[in-house]
Amino acid sequence: MKIEVLGTGCMKCKRLFKNVEIAVKELGITAEIVKVDDISEIINRGVMLTPALAVDGEMKVSGRVADVKELKEILKG
Amino acid sequence: MASRPECACGDTSALAGGKRRIIFPCAGTANVGLISNVAALQLALEGYGVATCIALLGSGDPGLKKRIAEADEVVLIDGCPMTCGAKIANAQGVTPAQHIVITGLGIDKVYEKNFTEDEVELVVSAAWEGRGRPGETHAR
Repeated sequence: MKIEVLGTGCMKCKRLFKNVEIAVKELGITAEIVKVDDISEIINRGVMLTPALAVDGEMKVSGRVADVKELKEILKG
Repeated sequence: MASRPECACGDTSALAGGKRRIIFPCAGTANVGLISNVAALQLALEGYGVATCIALLGSGDPGLKKRIAEADEVVLIDGCPMTCGAKIANAQGVTPAQHIVITGLGIDKVYEKNFTEDEVELVVSAAWEGRGRPGETHAR
């Protein structure tokens, strides 16, 4: 599983990234967690509000910080 | 050409389905009460919600009650197991979506004014993580 956190490095991006790390750890799953902070790539991905979260290329959250419980639900599919 | 994405820092989360939150610290005078105040202000700075005085809630202020009714969530930060903030909220008919008790995060209550940035960060991150939601655990 590839999880991408898209954002230019603001505090909310950092909070979302940390929550993703916790959710992955608590679920006990193996996942590659990547920060995407290149503005061109974020634009090309169609993100209008950051932070955003993509799982295996599919955009799941945009413009807010999902908490750990919500992220676990998203990652469980 | 695509427009530049907007950062959701500040209070724009509601535009993207995020929560409009009101944050109440217990505002006690022991270290954990002081931490509750600073953590609430830090959360407000980070765009998590609006920090508001628990004493105003206790006064039954109708303007605040209207704001609470219009918000999506109330987040309550109590310093210790006395949960004075939760008792005030309950007396005013307010049910928090998230209730964080700072001593439950492993910070001891002492009657001193000293606290650290790391202790404040522990509380702030607990709110972002949603550790105070029903069914969630304070310990991680």
